[in-house]
Amino acid sequence: MLSIKNLQVSIEEKAILKGLNLEIGAGEVHAIMGPNGSGKSTLSQVLAGREGYRVTGGEVRYEGQDLLSMETEVRAHAGIFLGMQYPVELPGVNNLTFMRESLNAVRRARGESELDAPSFLRRVREQAKRVDLDQALLKRSVNQGFSGGEKKRNEILQMAMLEPKLAILDETDSGLDIDALRIVAGGVNELRSPDRSIIVITHYQRLLDYIEPDRVHVLVGGRIVRSGDKQLALELEQRGYGWIEEVAA
Amino acid sequence: MISAAQQNEWFLHHLSQSAGDLPGRGIEWLENIREQAGQSLAQLPVLNRKQETWRYTSIDALLQQRFITAGADIGAFKNLDVTRWLLPGLDAYRLVFVNGRCLPTLANVADLPDGVVLDSLRAALTTDPEQLCTWFEQHQGRTDNLFTALNSALINDGALLHIGKNVVLEKPIEILYLNLGEEQSLLVQPRNLLVLEAGASATLVERHIGGDSCSGFHNHLTEIHLAKDASLDHYRLQDEGDQTHHLCTLFLSQGERSHYRGSHFSFGGAWARTDFHALLRQTGAECEVNGLYTVGDQQLSDFHLRVHHAAPGCTSRERFKGILYGKGRAVFDGHIIVDQDAQGSDAQLSNDNLMLSRSAEVDTKPQLEIYADDVKCSHGTTVGEIDPAQIFYLRSRGIDKEKALSMLSLGFAADISNGIKPEALREYVARQLTEKLSIQADSKEKDQSNV
Repeated sequence: MLSIKNLQVSIEEKAILKGLNLEIGAGEVHAIMGPNGSGKSTLSQVLAGREGYRVTGGEVRYEGQDLLSMETEVRAHAGIFLGMQYPVELPGVNNLTFMRESLNAVRRARGESELDAPSFLRRVREQAKRVDLDQALLKRSVNQGFSGGEKKRNEILQMAMLEPKLAILDETDSGLDIDALRIVAGGVNELRSPDRSIIVITHYQRLLDYIEPDRVHVLVGGRIVRSGDKQLALELEQRGYGWIEEVAA
Repeated sequence: MISAAQQNEWFLHHLSQSAGDLPGRGIEWLENIREQAGQSLAQLPVLNRKQETWRYTSIDALLQQRFITAGADIGAFKNLDVTRWLLPGLDAYRLVFVNGRCLPTLANVADLPDGVVLDSLRAALTTDPEQLCTWFEQHQGRTDNLFTALNSALINDGALLHIGKNVVLEKPIEILYLNLGEEQSLLVQPRNLLVLEAGASATLVERHIGGDSCSGFHNHLTEIHLAKDASLDHYRLQDEGDQTHHLCTLFLSQGERSHYRGSHFSFGGAWARTDFHALLRQTGAECEVNGLYTVGDQQLSDFHLRVHHAAPGCTSRERFKGILYGKGRAVFDGHIIVDQDAQGSDAQLSNDNLMLSRSAEVDTKPQLEIYADDVKCSHGTTVGEIDPAQIFYLRSRGIDKEKALSMLSLGFAADISNGIKPEALREYVARQLTEKLSIQADSKEKDQSNV
């Protein structure tokens, strides 16, 4: 599904990712953990196609294709979804209109027919119920005046609507209370299937109680310094990142 | 630069070449208005960029052109099929002007309730000049600059709306100005008088439409008088071709507790200027003016508001937004004056501009001039760009960059455009905006491919 080899990325001459390697197979859930500033968010943004990052080396192949040469929206059409750490507010852009544009853009690109308004509404309402998002928020401007938890639920709702092949969740758990965390995790678990892969970026082991990862990676200083199964997450929870940084150094 | 002498000559030329075919010859009060205005053309100060209201606006391009008045050949349009300009679903009483002249055959004024007069100025001059004189003299707008004087000196046709005491019009009134002078550069000078008596209420939609090849000059003058407790919802859409010069001077005078809600949209024209003068004459008047302009290459949008709180306890809200692309230019000049006696005034003025290109330019100038001490007044302006994080967000959801820009720009304008009450009009504005913004995306694409 996703193969990252020796990826090096800078922002304004500062090297952030320094030779990152990662292989994710279809149907797998990978957790990426690591201290602040280790490059977790940079990785997710580069995969989704955010401008302003300079790839100075390495390659990323997604389903055999050169991901880094694809336009941002084309990546979305190809099934990549990034659940943002800080979803931006879009004043005046209606949430429903936005989701319909988004879904239909992806469907068109995949050669599928657009969803008509009633079918779309039925689907979005049903999915909103699942992630426990207040239906009133569908009629508001995207993310505007949403609480932190509502923003994250709105992200999971979009993910459920778009049914991506590779979902990247960038600290989706931050700022969530335990109930919201369960709902968000539930949304992710429902998406799990043999042909979908998920990358969960998180600081805390807590989320991984609900989303059980196949692999856990520790990102320190722009490199993956250790990989393991879910036991590794528990170990990190107990011992912090310090010992790994020492081992890595 | 056009010299003062050339400017004078331009105004006098248009005065003399247009004076031939005027209605109501021999009606004394009308001839007096024309004559005084005509004389003032030689006396009024020439317009130049040292004057505050013309500081950012050059009229040289306008003054380099000569315009001719639409003549008697207007009859050729009397059976014009106007269907394609109508808004589907907008059920309205209607006057239709073609090249500045009202064509009664195209109007829809049947079934107007008692107490409502909606007619052309020309017709009213024939049917009841005395009554017209009363209304006109009570509410005669100031002719204090060369353009308003030129309009007054050549009063020819326009819309007359009079709504009697306590008459509430449910159905909107639409005034359609079609400018079809494809071959010639026409001087079109409608003169409108709108009077709502005490307790009257109406919705008025004015739309200015013209083809891309119309290079005329439209010099409108509209007077609106709202008596005590009268209420007017006023929508004005200027969407003429990119060669057109459009100037609209509005004088609004508000009586006690009257309510004016205006939404002014300016999408087209080489130069589209609005001089809006609101006089909150009596206690408790409320004046709400919203505006939205879009400008691209070779376009200047030019809004000048003067809101004058002359009585205590009046409220005014002015909210204007602009979307600029290409080499578009905009001027926003909002001026609130609060007289010493106007205690308890509440005024807010804002102007926000969205710059979609680095070559676009806006001059925005809000001013408060306050002589009372117990007031609540504020003003603010912003000039900004679309946040790249917003574009990324939309693109990461599969929406291409052009569509993302268009959605965000529409979002920026939404609080103005969503305030339009008649649904047909709201949808029309949304369509026009979408079209303008997709054109700008196209031209941007071309720019990039040329690089």
